[in-house]
Amino acid sequence: MILKPTTNNNSPIQPGLAGICPRISLLQLHGVSVDFGRQPVLKRIDLTLRQGDRLAVVGPNGAGKSTLLRVVLGLLPPSHGERSVCTPPPTIGYVPQRLHFDTQFPLTVEEFVAINQPGPRTWYGGVPRRSRAAIADALQQTGTLNLARQRLGACSGGELQRVLIAAALLQKPQLLVLDEPSANIDRCGVENLSELLRNLHSDLGLTLLFVSHDFHLVANLADRVACLNGELCGLGSPQEMLDEHYLSGSKQRTFAPVLGSIPALERSR
Amino acid sequence: MSWSDLWNYEFMRYALISSLILGPTCALLGVFVTLRGMAFFSDALAHSAITGVAIGLLLQERMGLSLDPMWFVFIFSIALALLMAWMNNQSALAPDTVISFSFTGSVALGVVIISWLGKYRLLDSILFGSIYANDLKDVICQAILSVIVITFLISQMRAYALSTLSPELAHVQRLPSGMLHYLFAVLVAATVALSLKMLGALLLSALIVIPAATAKLLSVSFRSLLLVALTIGLVVPVTGVWASSQHDLPTGPTIVLGNVLLLFSCYIGKSLSRAFR
Repeated sequence: MILKPTTNNNSPIQPGLAGICPRISLLQLHGVSVDFGRQPVLKRIDLTLRQGDRLAVVGPNGAGKSTLLRVVLGLLPPSHGERSVCTPPPTIGYVPQRLHFDTQFPLTVEEFVAINQPGPRTWYGGVPRRSRAAIADALQQTGTLNLARQRLGACSGGELQRVLIAAALLQKPQLLVLDEPSANIDRCGVENLSELLRNLHSDLGLTLLFVSHDFHLVANLADRVACLNGELCGLGSPQEMLDEHYLSGSKQRTFAPVLGSIPALERSR
Repeated sequence: MSWSDLWNYEFMRYALISSLILGPTCALLGVFVTLRGMAFFSDALAHSAITGVAIGLLLQERMGLSLDPMWFVFIFSIALALLMAWMNNQSALAPDTVISFSFTGSVALGVVIISWLGKYRLLDSILFGSIYANDLKDVICQAILSVIVITFLISQMRAYALSTLSPELAHVQRLPSGMLHYLFAVLVAATVALSLKMLGALLLSALIVIPAATAKLLSVSFRSLLLVALTIGLVVPVTGVWASSQHDLPTGPTIVLGNVLLLFSCYIGKSLSRAFR
């Protein structure tokens, strides 16, 4: 289904987007359920992603976070409900949690980014001449230009995440979807990653949707947090969702397992 | 005996041309076989060629079919490759388990049929190859196959590389990963079938896997990996044919030993350079 562009006058326009465009609904999920066989994984999810959102999805393992991402990416059709996008459909960049590769395999960072360039599938290794400027630009934006000739397997966890983001930027995305971007990164790396994503959000007007177990990343980066545990059991600002006073309310039983999946939050109580 | 003397013998000429055609083709295929962790898969297909030959002989003897048994190797290898690729996709059994029972099962079936036909002597040429038995028809088939394999791999190389490194990224880009997976299995099967005469079922996977493994030790980028693997695939088999003719050695094993020697030299060289860095 294709949505007509709609605006949300109640939401504040992000500083980087102010005066450029209204807050267009990029993607909506209406009552989306996903069943694997007889096993329900997602139940009646209603979610709207507007241009400029920085939405974090939190929840325990098995809560359906990755399934939700697959529905958003259009890789998995919902069993019930509907996924609708604006006109023209938004370009989506995806940053996977990990790569399946032998770290000794001779593939340079710039070659990896090059194979993510949309277009012809013909490739002879190296960086095609037509893509050189775009690849250098993407690496520059993520602060990884100095790694261009380095073997991909020699990158640290933080560097690899930046390279994956550079590869996603080649799609010229309006919506950037990240699956646990801070996994295998130390605290300092998470702060750098958070800063990079905030800069990309403000400079390029990117909409961010990310799944995370990392309290610091969620608190530093998100402007909305969706708590997922099979169903959407909460959606609001990080302050609302992560405030322990909120947990003392009537919904404590529903939220406790979701927020308990964020280790740093558990420790801070 | 000089190169020009060798060229004067027809069987030697075809052997040299075959090695010039199949060496680089197998090496290029090997880059993706090793990248996708399918070395055991190619080995299993090479061994299953015994069954293809056996079925061909059975139909020839009992039903009077006059088709070259190599066509049955071709058909059986492709059928087995598709079966293994499909079973691996179902994820009910681990890939190495699927390959292991397909491999041993097909070899057992082949040996039973050959034994039943009383053609045990044939096993020697199936297992170790007979490159000098190549004729013009074989060389033409090998050349056509090589053009198809190399053209297809280069035209789909970005998709293969991305779907191997991250199937999710390939899906997001709407690349047909599933279809490419099956086509790759068919390419490996076809290459195995047409290279069988060169090295035989036991040694054939060495021609696919070792040049890529050696190139991996020497390369820092994917482009250099391709160039080095193709160079090894071009030089070592031809040198093997020449060396075996000079010293009256079996050709297939000489080519494999040349590849192994080069691999070990590079491995030791790389280890030493790391130690003294």
